[in-house]
Amino acid sequence: MIEVQHLTKRYGPVTAVDDVSFRAEKGEILGLLGPNGAGKTTTMRVLTGYMPATEGTATVAGYDVFANPIEAKRRVGYLPETPPLYPDMTVREYLTFVAKLKLPASVSKSERISRINGVMTKTNITDMANRHCAKLSKGYKQRVGLAQALIHDPEVLILDEPTAGLDPKQIIEVRDLIRALAGNHTVVLSTHILPEVSQTCQRVVIINRGRVVAVDTPDNLTNQLKGSATLYVQVDAAGADAAAALSTITGVRQVSEHDRHEQLVGFEVASDTERDIRRDVARMVVDKGWGLIELRPLRLSLEDIFLQLTTDENQLAAGSKDPASPFDGAQGDAAEAASESEATPNA
Amino acid sequence: MRNVFTIAGKELRGFFASPMGWTVMGLFALLFGYFFLAHLDYFVGQSMQAQQGGGPINVNQFMIRPLLQNVALINLFLLPMITMRAYAEEKRSGTIELLLTSPVTDVQIILGKFLGVLGFYAALLGVTMLYIGILFWFGNPEWKPVLTGYFGLLLMGGCFLSVGLFISSTTKNQVVAGAATFVIFLLLWIISWLGQSAGPAVASLLDYLSIVWHFDDFGKGVIDTKHVIYYLSFITFGLFLTLKSVDTERWRG
Repeated sequence: MIEVQHLTKRYGPVTAVDDVSFRAEKGEILGLLGPNGAGKTTTMRVLTGYMPATEGTATVAGYDVFANPIEAKRRVGYLPETPPLYPDMTVREYLTFVAKLKLPASVSKSERISRINGVMTKTNITDMANRHCAKLSKGYKQRVGLAQALIHDPEVLILDEPTAGLDPKQIIEVRDLIRALAGNHTVVLSTHILPEVSQTCQRVVIINRGRVVAVDTPDNLTNQLKGSATLYVQVDAAGADAAAALSTITGVRQVSEHDRHEQLVGFEVASDTERDIRRDVARMVVDKGWGLIELRPLRLSLEDIFLQLTTDENQLAAGSKDPASPFDGAQGDAAEAASESEATPNA
Repeated sequence: MRNVFTIAGKELRGFFASPMGWTVMGLFALLFGYFFLAHLDYFVGQSMQAQQGGGPINVNQFMIRPLLQNVALINLFLLPMITMRAYAEEKRSGTIELLLTSPVTDVQIILGKFLGVLGFYAALLGVTMLYIGILFWFGNPEWKPVLTGYFGLLLMGGCFLSVGLFISSTTKNQVVAGAATFVIFLLLWIISWLGQSAGPAVASLLDYLSIVWHFDDFGKGVIDTKHVIYYLSFITFGLFLTLKSVDTERWRG
C-alpha cells in the first residue's frame, strides 16, 4: 500500500532524511518513531506530496507521489502536526470546503453532506458543527483535523503526532479511533511517545537522524533485545532481609532494592528469561508471612530499545529500567497502566 | 475548474467573515467618497463658470474620468491589505499543508486565490458604483465610458493583485508582505516620473512600464488592445512568479 525506497531529503547542506526505505501493507498501522527532529515529519510530507524528495521514490496506493501527485493525493488523508483549520470558518463550513476540494466532481451534493455528517459522527464532533474553528479546544481541533483527513475515505491515512497535546482521556479516544480505522485504511502515524507505539501500532519504523535504525513489530523489538526478565516486587517485609530471601529463588540472577517507604520495600528482581519466577516469588512472600503489595514484570520496554538504538553511548540503556518513564510524565502513567493490565491475567 | 472556484469562494468568504474585509471596504468607500466630493465640488464650480461663458461641460470628462483615475491611488494603499494575507497567513497557520496535499494543482490554487482577491476587489468597485449612480440620478453622463473605465480599473487592480499574491507567497509574515507590496506598487506607479528628466525614448519606455499610464485610455472610453494585452500579460507574469515561488518553497520545505 505504501512503499518508500531510498528516500533522501536535503535542505541545503542539511540532510533531514537519509536513504529511508520501508513499506506498509494494507490495513496495517505503522508507527514512525524517533526523537524530535529525526525526520518523521519530512518523511510524511514527502509521502503526502507536500514536498518532493531529493532522491528516491515513494509509492502510495499504487501511485508514485512524484510522477502522479493528484491521483496519489486522492488516496491519502493527511493530518499535519498542527491541524490545518481556518479559524473564521465553522466546523461544518470547513469540512464542506475540504470535501469540495478532495471529493471527485462526480459526488453529488447530498452525498457530500452525508459524508460530512458521517465523519463528524465518527470523530464525535457533531455537537461542534456550528462552532468556529478558532473557538475549539485543542482536543476538538485535533478531531476536526482527523475528520478532514477522513472525508474522502482515503486508502492511506498519514497522521503526524495525532495525540500530541491532548489530555489522557482524549489520547485514549484518538487511539481507539485510529485502531478502529485500521483494516479499512492503512495508517502511518508518527510519534515520539513510546507507549503509543506499543499500544497502537502493528509495526514500528524507528528513525534517528534521518536514518532507519530498526523496522519490526513492537513485540519482536522487545524480545530481540531482551537479555533477562525483570520483576518489580514490593513487599511489606517488616524488617526482614527480603533481598537475601528473594535471591535464593532458583533462576534469580540479581536482586536490587529500588525504593523504600517505611516498611514497604520495592525490589527489582532480575531472572533468566526462560524461567517465569512470579509464582515462586509470590509463594515465598506468602510463606514468609510478608505482605505482597505489588508484583509486576518490568519488561525491557520500547523506551530502552529506543534509547539503545538512538543513543551512541550504550550505558544509558542499562540505567533506564525505571518504573517512572523518563520520557513523558503524562505518558508514563499510561505505560504503567498498560503493562499492569498485561500482567494481571498471569499473576 | 471546480477546484478553482472552491478556493476562490473560500478566499472571498474569508474577507466577509473577518473584520479585515469590512474594514478595507469601509476605508475604500470613505476615500472614494472623499474624492467624489472633492471632484464634485470642483466640477460644480467649473460648470458654473462655463455656464456664464458658453454651453455645459462634459461630466464624463471633467468628473468621472479623474475620479476613476484616483481609484488607482486608493488601490495603492488598500490592495496590499487584500493580498498580504493570501499566502502568508496560510503558511503561518499551516493551512497551506491542507491545500498542497489536496488533489488540486498549484495552478488551480493560485488561480483560485487570484479570482478570490479579484472578486473582493470587484466588490469594492461595486460600492463605488453607488456614487457614480448619484451622478446618473441628477445628471446625464454617458454610461459607456464609465463601463470601460471600470473594466480598466479591474484590469489595473488585477495587476496589483497578482504582484501582491507573489509577494505574499514569499513570506510567512503578513506585515512584511503588506509593506513590500506597498513599496512595489509605489515603484510601479512612480516609475514614469523618472522619464520626465530622461530622453523621450526612455520616457516612453518608462511610461509603458507604468501600470497607471495604461489606464488613461480606459478612462476616456477607449478600449485599446495594447493596454488590455499589457494588463493581461502583467497579470500572467505576476501569477507565473507566484507559481514559481510556491514551487520553490516546496523544494526548500
